[in-house]
Amino acid sequence: MPRYAMVIDLDRCMGCRACMEACKVENNTPTAAFWMYVFRFEEGEYPNTHIWFMPRPCMHCDNPPCAKVCPVGARYKREDGLVATDWDRCIGCRYCEVACPYGVNYFNWKEPVRNYYLDWGDRDVRRVTNGRTPPYRNPDLDRPYGEEKRRVAGGGRLKGVVEKCTFCVQRVEEGLQPACVANCPAFALHFGDLEDPQSSVSQVLGRKHSWRLLEELGTEPRVYYVGAHSPHPESRQIEEVKARV
Amino acid sequence: MSIRVQRLPYGVGRFSAGFWLFILVLLSVVGWGIYAYSRQLVEGLVVTGLRDIGSMGGAAWGLYIAFDVYFVGVSFAGITMAALIRLLRLEELRPVSRMAELLTIVALILAAFSVLPDLGQPVRGIVNLLRYARPQSPFFGTFTLVISGYLFASLVYFYLDGRRDAALLARIPSPLQGFYRLWAAGYRDTPAERERHHRTAFWLAIAIVPLLVTAHSTLGFVFGIQSGRPGWFSTLQAPAFVVMAGVSGIGLLLVIAAVFRHVLGERERLHEGIFRWLGGLLALLVLVYLYFTVAELLTTTYTGHEAEVRLTVALLSGPYAWLFWVSMGALVLALVSLVLPYVPSLVPVRVPSFQPAFTRAAGLAAAGAGLVLMLYRHSPRLVPVAGAGGPEPEWVGWVLAGLAVVFVLSWFPLFARSVVAAGVAGGLLVNVAAVGKRLLIVVPSQTHGTLLPYGPGSYTPTWVEYSVVAGLFALGTLLYTLFVKVFPIMEVAEER
Repeated sequence: MPRYAMVIDLDRCMGCRACMEACKVENNTPTAAFWMYVFRFEEGEYPNTHIWFMPRPCMHCDNPPCAKVCPVGARYKREDGLVATDWDRCIGCRYCEVACPYGVNYFNWKEPVRNYYLDWGDRDVRRVTNGRTPPYRNPDLDRPYGEEKRRVAGGGRLKGVVEKCTFCVQRVEEGLQPACVANCPAFALHFGDLEDPQSSVSQVLGRKHSWRLLEELGTEPRVYYVGAHSPHPESRQIEEVKARV
Repeated sequence: MSIRVQRLPYGVGRFSAGFWLFILVLLSVVGWGIYAYSRQLVEGLVVTGLRDIGSMGGAAWGLYIAFDVYFVGVSFAGITMAALIRLLRLEELRPVSRMAELLTIVALILAAFSVLPDLGQPVRGIVNLLRYARPQSPFFGTFTLVISGYLFASLVYFYLDGRRDAALLARIPSPLQGFYRLWAAGYRDTPAERERHHRTAFWLAIAIVPLLVTAHSTLGFVFGIQSGRPGWFSTLQAPAFVVMAGVSGIGLLLVIAAVFRHVLGERERLHEGIFRWLGGLLALLVLVYLYFTVAELLTTTYTGHEAEVRLTVALLSGPYAWLFWVSMGALVLALVSLVLPYVPSLVPVRVPSFQPAFTRAAGLAAAGAGLVLMLYRHSPRLVPVAGAGGPEPEWVGWVLAGLAVVFVLSWFPLFARSVVAAGVAGGLLVNVAAVGKRLLIVVPSQTHGTLLPYGPGSYTPTWVEYSVVAGLFALGTLLYTLFVKVFPIMEVAEER
């Protein structure tokens, strides 16, 4: 069984937010939901300031606070390390959301028909697509996944359930990289199997010093950062996304 | 010894025009709440003020969860009374026993109902909680211990406790005779039966009392064991929930007892001793809670963990300051009000009095300003800004709070004279504080307690949330009122 992990090289990240865009296109997430989010930080006093960037996917913790508190087991830890959300079972209590210290959960506050990255039913869009289901509306998102055969891949944006970064389970199970990793132009994101010493994640982790976000909480994240440092009170967020549904 | 009852006591079975009007008003509020909830069912939780924590800068839990906690807290009253009367043999409190038990049952029903609107998938909520329940989730305790176990035990206790009266009332002809006969279920109030009942109720009380601590703690643990939320993660959370539950429950019981004392004119049975006893207990619980608050504030600020300090600043002087100080002020004022009846006899002081006109003016001004403020805040033309408190200038809130304080202060001479008035004022004030503190526990940790630097968020409830909560209160009052009209709210007195 593979042990999936993500490594984010902050020395390479240039804050272009292409990963956020790739995530939205691949997973067709509603407006204002950012399963992948990139912090842009500014530190220091003028003129001695510097800017750095920190992508924040779901940490897919080994000790996930969200899965612990889920009253119905809709949020669970898979054998391969992915923390998955079964939107077929979720009751929408949002306990996972308040329990998560990283703020990675996004609730479907309404029927997101007009709320997708693109509204495929829109007349103007349909004129361009000739009424066909465009390739981006990925039917793979509705299928069951894993040995347990549960619907954990984003899905149909059912109103009233919680969703979050899936590490693109629909791509990973086909041997592909998650959309954010595949689309990073600076090769700052790595994804792979920690059990495989030849995988890029093992290679980078072996070469460089790494740290994890809010490690002191004991959540054991599966997302490792190399370079820079974890954000501290002096890190001011600039150009933050303030989108609300 | 057999007790004779000539007619149905305590207004049971007598329906006046005013009563029907009251029911009509309550029904229309309930209907309005249902309408608001239907909007939410159709459009989704987007109609509430709730939003995602983090990049969306919102709170995922708000008014619904705060009032769920509040209603569960209020249910404290019944068990306490059962314990005090059955285990400590405080026979003088007997007249409020059934009021307290009914309050518990109604509050628990409301608690169950107030979780439902918080769920994005309410139908799944009911089905999946049974199908896939996980004991590891702190919610499990809320649904098993509190909503099911607590409610069931209270209903059984309530039923057994009422059997004697049902048997008595079943002897006299009335339209409700069948109902009483059903309730009595063969009970005839013979000495042997009475003895058996006493024993059963005693053991049942012993069985329920641990629930007093565990059930309310469970709800505290829903918040207290989340290490990722500053302000929630605290050992004190569970004990504070138990104490605050007592504060709100006993407070509401005081108010209800005073209402029945007035409406039924039962000054003899609902005597001042009851109010003195409950008022003293309430004052003690308020003191404990204030002590907890001080301990909590000192712990979070002294070491200065960055996130805890940020949250505490938001509470003490930030966007939540008005709510924090109103709640704290209400607790302190309640404490003073409850102690006041004892003051003139202890020390020879004269409590200064105000002109009644002045009192009314201050009260009306406070209520009017509050209403205007509320309407202003929820005006559709205002766009809430993330991070800011409300759109109104800050001093408006303080003026409002000042007027309210003057209003309460001007009643002090009355409190010093009457233990009942002091109890009612204390009960109302602690319930204002209870609602405020519940909101302060639930919301700020989400908007201002993010451990990653998302920046401050905001949460303003919408009309849908207010309407649903108002509907719940109306439903509770409706259930309570209707029950009072079909069954005596106090044990039928033995006629000598």
